[in-house]
Amino acid sequence: MNSQLLAQSAVQAPHIEYGQLAPMLIVFGLAIAGVLVEAFVPRRARSAVHAPLTLVGLAAAFVATVLQAGTHHVAAEGAVGVDGPTLFIQGTIIALAFVSSLLIAERRPDTSAFVSDAASVPGTQEERESLVAGDVQTEVYPLTMFAVGGMLLFPAANDLLTMFVALEVLSLPLYVLCGLARRRRLLSQEAAVKYFLLGAFSSAFFLYGIAMVYGFAGSIRLSEIALAVSHSGGNETLLLLGLALLGMGLLFKLGAVPFHSWKPDVYQGAPTPITALMGSCTVVAAFGALLRVLYVGFGGMQWDWRPFMWGIAILTMVIGAIVAITQADVKRMLAYSSIAHAGFVLTGVIASSSQGLSSTLFYLVAYGFTTVGAFAIVTLVRDAAGEANHLSRWAGLGRRSPLVAGIFAFFLLAFAGIPLTSGFTGKFAVFAAAVAGGATPLVIVGVLSSAVAAFFYVRVIVVMFFSDPNPDGPTVAAPSLLTGAAVAVGVAVTLVLGVLPQPALDLAANAAAGLFVR
Amino acid sequence: MTTSLLAAPPATPLAAGEAPTLEAFGLDPWWLILAKAVLIFVFLMLMVLFEIWFERRFMARMQNRLGPNRVGPLGLLQPIADGLKLPLKEDLVPRGVDRPVFILAPALATMPAFLAFAIIPFGPTVSVFGHQTPLQLADLPVAVLFVLAMSSLGVYGIVLGGWASASPYSLLGGLRSSAQVISYEIGMGLSFVAVFLFAGSLSTSEIVASQERIWYAVVLFPSFVIYAITMVGEVNRIPFDLPEGEGELVGGFHTEYSSLKFGMFMLAEYVNMTTVSALAVTLFLGGWRAPWPISLVDGANAGWWPVLWFMIKLLLTISFFIWLRATLPRVRYDQLMKLGWKVLIPGALAWIMVVATIRVLRNEGISTQQVFFAVAIVLGIYIVASYLWDAVRGNRRDAEEQEATAAERAGAGDSTGGDPMAGGYPVPPLDAPHYHGRNSTSKEVNRA
Amino acid sequence: MTPADVVFLFLGAVTLGSAVLVVTTRQLVHAALWLVVTFGALAASYLLLTAEFVAWVQVLIYVGAVVVLLLFGIMLTRAPIGRSEGLDSANRPVAIAVAAATAALLVTVVVAGFREAYVELGDPPAGTSGQMGASIFRTWVLPFEVLSLLLLAALIGAIVLSRREIQPPGESSDERPTERPTGPGRG
Repeated sequence: MNSQLLAQSAVQAPHIEYGQLAPMLIVFGLAIAGVLVEAFVPRRARSAVHAPLTLVGLAAAFVATVLQAGTHHVAAEGAVGVDGPTLFIQGTIIALAFVSSLLIAERRPDTSAFVSDAASVPGTQEERESLVAGDVQTEVYPLTMFAVGGMLLFPAANDLLTMFVALEVLSLPLYVLCGLARRRRLLSQEAAVKYFLLGAFSSAFFLYGIAMVYGFAGSIRLSEIALAVSHSGGNETLLLLGLALLGMGLLFKLGAVPFHSWKPDVYQGAPTPITALMGSCTVVAAFGALLRVLYVGFGGMQWDWRPFMWGIAILTMVIGAIVAITQADVKRMLAYSSIAHAGFVLTGVIASSSQGLSSTLFYLVAYGFTTVGAFAIVTLVRDAAGEANHLSRWAGLGRRSPLVAGIFAFFLLAFAGIPLTSGFTGKFAVFAAAVAGGATPLVIVGVLSSAVAAFFYVRVIVVMFFSDPNPDGPTVAAPSLLTGAAVAVGVAVTLVLGVLPQPALDLAANAAAGLFVR
Repeated sequence: MTTSLLAAPPATPLAAGEAPTLEAFGLDPWWLILAKAVLIFVFLMLMVLFEIWFERRFMARMQNRLGPNRVGPLGLLQPIADGLKLPLKEDLVPRGVDRPVFILAPALATMPAFLAFAIIPFGPTVSVFGHQTPLQLADLPVAVLFVLAMSSLGVYGIVLGGWASASPYSLLGGLRSSAQVISYEIGMGLSFVAVFLFAGSLSTSEIVASQERIWYAVVLFPSFVIYAITMVGEVNRIPFDLPEGEGELVGGFHTEYSSLKFGMFMLAEYVNMTTVSALAVTLFLGGWRAPWPISLVDGANAGWWPVLWFMIKLLLTISFFIWLRATLPRVRYDQLMKLGWKVLIPGALAWIMVVATIRVLRNEGISTQQVFFAVAIVLGIYIVASYLWDAVRGNRRDAEEQEATAAERAGAGDSTGGDPMAGGYPVPPLDAPHYHGRNSTSKEVNRA
Repeated sequence: MTPADVVFLFLGAVTLGSAVLVVTTRQLVHAALWLVVTFGALAASYLLLTAEFVAWVQVLIYVGAVVVLLLFGIMLTRAPIGRSEGLDSANRPVAIAVAAATAALLVTVVVAGFREAYVELGDPPAGTSGQMGASIFRTWVLPFEVLSLLLLAALIGAIVLSRREIQPPGESSDERPTERPTGPGRG
């Protein structure tokens, strides 16, 4: 007993750099505060408390991130790397989450995107009663914050265990959130189940990968894996298979091509504000984690993984762009466009240089804000059954609501990469980095698929502006302050990064200059 | 193989009468281990016989009756007569049951109860035929975890017995028991945590050793209370005997059992009662150590004397069970769950926080008295506040509930018909095959 | 081969055999019971590798809680005795092929990776609860704490998906049951 007691008191308390973890801690704190709000605030007042709390908290987290600028340190007993690229990614995620939260907070009774009572069976009297009673499922706020917290930890994780935990923390709330759409609930629930099953599958792959890599390196710290990789000789089967499985898990979250099949269904079924969150923040977080794994852990074997990533990038760009052409649903089309864009970003990842890193970071910012803006517009075009997502319903929208259609057209042009939009700058940056990194054929494929992608973006613009409006077509809901702000932020960032990209490019280059901490 | 798990390198065995440490285990010769195992088995069987008699006599006293007094002196042989009668009855296996599981279930219920007793220390190191050995079959660095694992295995017997019987009462009993045991096991596990924090070990012998100065039932009184409640829930005895509640479920999970199989369920229940009582003695009541005034006598904790103290404490704990049975009515299912999830678990968590804080502060050099004073103030404020909150809210809610039930009564008669979650209590769907006795699925079994 | 090796091989065979039975048995509850055997054999393997804390936690959590909850769920819905139709699907051959391929791949890789490796368990063995605690609460404290958030998020999610709003009293609660669909497949 005495020896045990002595041993017990001899255990040193871990050293935690609370300041450097502040962004995550604030967001997780927000989530817990949200749970407390659910527990103690009367039902009617919950939305009114949640929304400002979330927005103020996210703003505080953003400030905390900015204050960490210049840190280059491994924190929390080696579990978290705080460095330039990570802070840049975390700042991006928080900013995008802020804008998405504006959409989530949109809560006029008929336009709320979220279900009134998730446990009621669609189409029953019960559901009708809760709709009439004006209930809303306010738990979306804490769930969103849990997801965002996981996203902040995901790219910062310095070992594979922390990364896996973060992956689960970001995924689990998203699975639930996907099933909470107010309209077309069966579609939404189906999307949630698909996402959950496939996500669980990819998590299993990720875990298998961790086990394999641990078998090779004897550690799951990325820095020690890098060390083991550089000293490796002989049998690398475990390592290669481990990396392949890890990669599957990560590429699933980005929706790169062989692992993309969940994306259209989930984007379509999820409540649109959640789609905006997934389309922007999750993609950014997943790229951050992929970058860290590939650059820190497996940087020494880039000749092994580059060919595979080439293949994946080409497949992703080509298939994303081509399949998008056939889509008739706006959200599905945006999902395929997001797949294609994941391919473009991958070209920047493959460059595996400081330039590639900075261009990837820039692209993620540009793409994230455009995506949130575009989904914000999608929430505005409505008819009696809720959002009118079918493309045919959008015919002639340009004549009825030129402003909304015009802004959407602007976002589409940014997706297509037309000059004077952020999309052009971003694509230029990643392609330039890829060329500098010796991936010219990849860039050629990229440019070609951009051209294909441009076709369907322009097709939507044509449908909106050059076809006759449907007499009983959807109306454009007057944007409230919240949605309006989200759209405005999207437009502003897309425009500024297109016209005056240099400050942002410099910021990304500064962040990327120090590379990841080891 | 197991011996190497129990203890690391051979250390010098301790002298007789000293408290054994983990190193003292795994050194016994094989015949001693065997003898200990057989002795524990015999002890438990005898305890069961004694408990049955004791329970009937003791309860009879409480109810101003005499109890069994015909067979043997004071009716002492009554349990033996009962025990002989039971296996000689006809062993019925109803048609349509899942035969292998139906037969396996009683064994599954009984075995873990016996196994868990392996780590209960009966006394300090004694000398047996020249061998210095602790009066305990085995000890693990995670011994208490082993007990928890065993008690979680015990639930299989009840659940499977209930399911395999193909009878609605049995199924309901099985359902209730799975929910109940899982819920109460959490509370039980949490009540141990404070003990671990103070003892710095999960090994039973070391926990007993660390209670040399004062019992944990005193120091960690809230933990003891929580354990005392959860242990009753764990072994399905009144007031928590819902899995077999005779008044509502005929016999619950063992409705369809007869003869020896029924006897094994009974055996499991009483052995379980002995085991949790022995664990209560070990973890909270000082184990085999002599109670206070006696402990001052030199040699009270040496040799074979501690077995006596252990037995006395064990019997007192068992009489507590019987006292409960004679006193309390069975609780309702929702009350049981409410107590488990809304009182015991949060209470245990809060208490662990308090204990951990005290430990840390003591390590930092702040005196316990100051800490207790601060904690008492905080707890007092909390209790008063929660009482006020309940008083205010409870009144309102009661009024609302009464209104609601009145409205319901005025409306349709049976408002819960066909609802599998009637009012939030788990009930299997009423069109489940079990409700109609012989059915298509059971016929298929017969064909197969 | 030491006795420990023999026991380990035996446990491996038990694990594999019962795992195969989990997916091949036609009786739902029996599948859950074979799962218990699988988990139990895994726990025994952990014991053999001197990771006793992990072993007993495996018994406590997986055998004692997860599968019991599984059984609870089965009993709450149907709990059929005897064979259930619909536990099988036409994809059986494909599933077998995929499972066999995965197993072959993993076995090959593990054999190739650890052909001659023989890890000493160390003295004192590395799996003791003291060492586990020290490593969880020091090296891995951040993921450990974040896991608690994961559980909280899962809890909230489960409540959102399953808990009905409690209607204000007196609000037409008498006519609702007739509208409710019964039987499985709800929510």
